[in-house]
Amino acid sequence: MSSFGFGLISAAVLAIATVGFTMQFAVTNVLNLAYGSIMINSAFVTYYVNEHGVNAWVALVGGVLTGAIASWLLNRFVYTPFQKRNLAPITVVIVSLGIDLIGTFGLQAIVGGGYVSFTQNQGREYHFAGLLLSSLQLIVMGICVAVLVGVHGLLKYTRLGKAMRATSANKNLARNSGIKTQFIISTTWLISGALCGLAGTVFAMNAGVFEATSAQLYIVLLLAAMFLGGPGEPYGAMFGALTIGLATEVSAAYINPDYKDVIAFIALIVMLMFRPFGIFGSEKTN
Amino acid sequence: MSSYGYYIAIILVYASVDAMACLGLSLQFGVAGVSNFGFIIFQSVGAYVAAVLSMPNASTSNGGFQKYILGWHLPWPFPWIGAALAGGLLALPFVFIVGKRLRGDFAAVGLLVSAVLLNLLATNYVPLFNGAAGISLVPAPFQSHFNPQGLSYQFAYGLVAVILTVGAYFLVKRITESPYGRSLRAMRDNDIVADSLGKDLRMQRMSVLVVGGMIAGLSGAILVEFITLWAPGAWGYAETIVLFAAIIIGGAGNHKGAVLGAILVPVGFEEVTRYLPPVGNPALVPALEWVAIGLLIVLFLWFRPDGILPERRQILSGNKNAPAPVPTAADDESDALIKIGDLHKLDLHKLLHLEPTGNDHHVIFSTKGLTKVFNGVTVVSDVSIDIQQGRLTGMIGPNGAGKSTTLAMLAGTLPPSSGQIFYEGQDITSMPSNKRALNGIVRTFQLASEFKKLTVLENLVSAIPRQSGDTFVGSMRGKRYWGAEDRANIERAQELLEGFGLTQYADSYAGGLSGGQRRLVEIMRALLAEPKILLLDEPMAGVHPNLAHRIGDQLTNLCRGGMTIVMVEHELSIMDAFCDPVIVLAEGKVLAQGTMSELRQKQEVVEAYLVG
Repeated sequence: MSSFGFGLISAAVLAIATVGFTMQFAVTNVLNLAYGSIMINSAFVTYYVNEHGVNAWVALVGGVLTGAIASWLLNRFVYTPFQKRNLAPITVVIVSLGIDLIGTFGLQAIVGGGYVSFTQNQGREYHFAGLLLSSLQLIVMGICVAVLVGVHGLLKYTRLGKAMRATSANKNLARNSGIKTQFIISTTWLISGALCGLAGTVFAMNAGVFEATSAQLYIVLLLAAMFLGGPGEPYGAMFGALTIGLATEVSAAYINPDYKDVIAFIALIVMLMFRPFGIFGSEKTN
Repeated sequence: MSSYGYYIAIILVYASVDAMACLGLSLQFGVAGVSNFGFIIFQSVGAYVAAVLSMPNASTSNGGFQKYILGWHLPWPFPWIGAALAGGLLALPFVFIVGKRLRGDFAAVGLLVSAVLLNLLATNYVPLFNGAAGISLVPAPFQSHFNPQGLSYQFAYGLVAVILTVGAYFLVKRITESPYGRSLRAMRDNDIVADSLGKDLRMQRMSVLVVGGMIAGLSGAILVEFITLWAPGAWGYAETIVLFAAIIIGGAGNHKGAVLGAILVPVGFEEVTRYLPPVGNPALVPALEWVAIGLLIVLFLWFRPDGILPERRQILSGNKNAPAPVPTAADDESDALIKIGDLHKLDLHKLLHLEPTGNDHHVIFSTKGLTKVFNGVTVVSDVSIDIQQGRLTGMIGPNGAGKSTTLAMLAGTLPPSSGQIFYEGQDITSMPSNKRALNGIVRTFQLASEFKKLTVLENLVSAIPRQSGDTFVGSMRGKRYWGAEDRANIERAQELLEGFGLTQYADSYAGGLSGGQRRLVEIMRALLAEPKILLLDEPMAGVHPNLAHRIGDQLTNLCRGGMTIVMVEHELSIMDAFCDPVIVLAEGKVLAQGTMSELRQKQEVVEAYLVG
């Protein structure tokens, strides 16, 4: 049962991260493999603000801003120029791998290779329907619920959200219908970048200790969650993250915990082989 | 001074191992466009297999302190052969991922994840790989006869490694320069189009995965028996990125560039950083190395995407000295002034090896209830048409009428949601598009579909079916086997090119042509695919009207000789002049059918056009 609790927390962190990741894919058609490096950079910004005596939950704002600004810059000055050259999608993916190396190891060069942790305690523990959760974990879950509700509200009820959905469905048609797609794409990267920064920070808080390369393989979980729900589908991402997060932690109770991520890997590979458009998705026109 | 000798020997081995890996990856990524982000697995598995084949039984040797499988204690060269075979066999399951329908970047991610997964398993599963500790005491070849630490032994080892690298170079070169290599490059530039011209994408991708995997496996074997260690930590997925950096910098698709990249990146980085004084924190230098590799990838892809040694343009015209004119902006504008050439004089039947069969206008090609639904939207609805042999059937309709979608289903590019397609009475609904092409059903595309980094002449020749050098085995048999036939094919393509007035662009990259010129290339390419049924999707768009009518005359000639053509076209004057019958589609349904003059009388057809 405790593994179920861990699973919920992992799923919450993963859901925040995956929604941001899949939104980027939706509007720009880029698999941004540098996502994990921006996550961990954001976490380190929060960490340094926290080191200066600011409460970790307040310092989190610094991480969110870092994620938003870094992602916006990345799209504006790297991905967009490359995409304008009409290259194969794989070129941009290779570029994103290069950026990931720069982001991750640039950080490591600055902060060194050691582990750090936030100045913060886990808070008191609560018994909750048979689960034992710390207040940190409860806050993470609260943040996750707020994010998912927020994203839902954004997509469903605001002009901006509708324009984002239109841009993701068909960029040219959206542009011809008078939507300023370039503005929408930029805004999407700001919002998804903020989610990336937020996810990075709560990921690091949840992990307890972390270092510059801690999020390097997180991209695999992200990809698994995204492909499970269908690439570019925010609701699919929520479903995928919940499934992957729970499955990895719950399976850790039954098999060697070293293998807990294997289930995510296998889910991803199976999805790519048989249903690359997600469990609920259907083939796209293009 | 013998320490320099050792140093040189070691560098020879390392450089050979990296160069071989880069050659394998250059074939896969540079030539065939298969982004194998899991390349390192092949090298590590080869290394592992070589290790366990050469080591003695795990439980009886060295007190059984390490665990591994096999332990056959085979003499050289069997462990190396086993490594190459293992690398090749390992490729087979990955064909499921790089198979034909998956987007290239999705497949790449699948391979990347596989690499991470296998590394995770190797690190944690002790009985197979001895866990994170890895295997040590791998015997060097002939270590009972010679001293592996001796200078002459190490030099000999380096020499063997270099010889095998040269062998790998000639192997990938042989494949690349053959007609099969041309097909691989065509697939790289546009896989859907290559598929529609009859190329078996699955087979092509499998062959480069197997060959590249064998080379990688062998390179792993060379490394592991030299350093006598194998540990999973050395084979992280990031090592693949280093190899990608190497071939991007050296020049993907140019195998000399791959070797150069191997020397500059993996070897160069390792050797240069060896001499750096220890500064800052201990993680600093390795971290900066990774940053540098990331920067090099991004900067090269931006400033010099073809690398230091770009892929060489293949001059097929035989005119090696004349520089191929690069079409300029001025040419774009002067499309109307295009030299029409002597198209009307061309005997296409002879050129295309078509036996005039005579016409009986029987129903050769038909559909029953053909329907296509995308995301809940019905684009083509219950279309049943009969195409008569030897006729030039036109297909018109407003935008969004489903013309291109229908054509794509006829050619097999898109699977129908329901309905059937019959060819000479046989149900071919589930026949893949490349098989249809080989059976004579060939299509062109509405959007630009030239193979960009193939010359115009290569574009044309690539379409010719059943070339003896266009199989993996054929390419292995070398130029002596396929050369004469290829020469003849090139001459045919040149003759066609002359008829269409594009001879001066024979050796230009097709990607540099103007829109109208590219359409012509596409028509010629489709003709060289020797179609029985030719499906043309707006072939005349952007083509000068005079030339369009000459092409129309030739198409009519071809129909007279027995070819069946279906042509989607917006230009009604073309329909008037050449097409009979004409099918009108609107909103995914067949609205009417008949000659153009009959259709002009029909109120609903005129309305559909006016409304659309």
